[in-house]
Amino acid sequence: MTWDILLDQFATQFGLWWVILPGILLGIVVGILPGFSPQNTLIMLLPLTLAVPVEQAFAFMVALYCANHLSGGIPAILVRIPGSGGAAATVLDGYPMTQKGQAQQALVLSFVASVFGGLITTLATLALLPWLSQIGLYLRSVEMVVVLLFGLTLIAVIAAKDFLKGLIAGFFGLLIGVIGTDHIYNAPRATFGFLELYDGVPLVAALIGLFAVSEALVMIEQKLIVAVEGREQAKRSNWSETLEGLRISLQKWWHIVWTAFVGLLIGVVPGAGASIAAFVAYQQSRLWSKHPELYGTGIPEGVIAPESANNGVTSGTLVPMMALGVPGGTTSAVMMIVLQYHGMVMGPQLFTSNPALAYGVFVSMAVAYVFMIFTILPLARYMSRIVLIETTYLVPIIILVTIVAAFSERQYLFDMGLALVFGVIGYIAHKTNYHVTAMLIGIILGPLFERYLVRALRISEGDLMVLFSSPLGNTLWGLLVLSLVLPFWRTWRQKKALAAEQFGEES
Amino acid sequence: MAPLGADLVIPALALGFAAYFFLSIADLVWEAKANGVLIGAILVALIAVQLVRMGIRLARGEGDLRADPLWQPRDALGKRIGMVAITVAFIAALPWLGLTLALLLAMLAALRVMGVRRLSTLLWVSSAVAAAAYLLFIVTLDSAFPHGPIERLLAALFA
Repeated sequence: MTWDILLDQFATQFGLWWVILPGILLGIVVGILPGFSPQNTLIMLLPLTLAVPVEQAFAFMVALYCANHLSGGIPAILVRIPGSGGAAATVLDGYPMTQKGQAQQALVLSFVASVFGGLITTLATLALLPWLSQIGLYLRSVEMVVVLLFGLTLIAVIAAKDFLKGLIAGFFGLLIGVIGTDHIYNAPRATFGFLELYDGVPLVAALIGLFAVSEALVMIEQKLIVAVEGREQAKRSNWSETLEGLRISLQKWWHIVWTAFVGLLIGVVPGAGASIAAFVAYQQSRLWSKHPELYGTGIPEGVIAPESANNGVTSGTLVPMMALGVPGGTTSAVMMIVLQYHGMVMGPQLFTSNPALAYGVFVSMAVAYVFMIFTILPLARYMSRIVLIETTYLVPIIILVTIVAAFSERQYLFDMGLALVFGVIGYIAHKTNYHVTAMLIGIILGPLFERYLVRALRISEGDLMVLFSSPLGNTLWGLLVLSLVLPFWRTWRQKKALAAEQFGEES
Repeated sequence: MAPLGADLVIPALALGFAAYFFLSIADLVWEAKANGVLIGAILVALIAVQLVRMGIRLARGEGDLRADPLWQPRDALGKRIGMVAITVAFIAALPWLGLTLALLLAMLAALRVMGVRRLSTLLWVSSAVAAAAYLLFIVTLDSAFPHGPIERLLAALFA
């Protein structure tokens, strides 16, 4: 890679602003609406992307993809409905900030973390591409089992208030995630006789039910989403709130950087993705925080970590596709089809045969992020006004429109009914403090966990010790144990210090 | 006295599902059910601990089996049941009425249940939502939603 190619690519990509801006706007709309995925949108737009020159097609697709990852956090913050699985962790602190009247700040934090997280990791990918492309080769089924267990430990983190209830919700979700045919024999399990469940539980229906429908059913009790003081603050909101959000973002710059790299590393692993990255980043952020007890109450770090990580994923997922010819996810698979249609051969040779395109993809991503910050940041002030709409209107719109959106993923009416069932379960869980996020993590991770576990066991002919057979896996096991032990050790130390303090006062 | 009855609903659902899961996998080979058995067994064990914990609280007189949190506050219960019923009716009517008309009628009913009384507000909010859904799902995305009288009429007009 030479500087000439890079500079030339930056100039070329900035010149494609007329392609990038529509991509960003469409990506934002698609990201806000639960049920709409970037891959489905790109599939529908294939006639367009196949018809235009490959550089323009790729600039458009990359802009749409990145903007989609950014905007999933908007409904998560404003109405507790994540636009995608990658934004589910944003709900945990984003929505409490909205309830406190800090919606505008939370949106700005989310935008800045997303844009800079995405930008930093894209630039890092450009520099580290040859090495990053090797990561996917080292992480096999054994290591992936441990990576997924990292995600599962978040159940324990979320369940900090009632550990047992959180674990029950999480394992209930995991068992729901196992519904469908198994990966080896295609034997149906717990499908209630519905053919529509043979492919497993549709994630969009679960997401819409557990978050959107259940939240709307709870929302009925209030006139507005925000409390009285929050309402006054939202009414008074002006540009100073945006500036305050920017100030906090700058103050937390290191948090944005390291959580973005968590996203990048997870994104490089084929099949992982934004949901796992966001949850793992949130869990790690809480683990290393000086005030972990404040997570879940509406703090900036709780918004920054998942948003930065789920945009760090964007460049990561393209690495295996560009460097190895293995798409890291469905969206990159669609992009790969477009590239192949234009005669591009993916893999290591792409960097020698067509370096301008190979590096241009990541430059295009960096440029899209630069455009994005100027496009979306001014909108935070106006978007935050949604919290002033009365629930009398919000509840019917949320329930009926999101139920309709549940149809989009697979085009089955069945999924709409399933979303309603999940909505009622989510409502009961909500009212009795069985955390719906823990349930969703279970549903997301259930099928992935099974796939990697069964694969590892098959390789070892059923010997569980295979899970401790690789040096990298064992290192990850060590880090996992540390993640679990550290919070307890920290609590024990705090209690000890408190007891010593009280003893000192008494004597 | 804490109303512990509500806390039993999710464990009861989870236990029922786990029992059904075990039944459905009974005849499968080990590899096809290993993961489910592992997760299900842990889930059942966790529920058992929760039941013991609740039993101790009941024995101490710290709670009873009321399930109040699920239907409190009472004034919201009617709206809540109404919204679920309207959604069920909406999904059931969709194949006959098509997306646009079914959504328009469901929005009218839902807004009425939520307490909107002004006819003009009812009509314009419902029409706006139905029109937006028509434009997005039928016109732009060409989704496979069932077509009803409105879709057929508009298709004939603009054909």
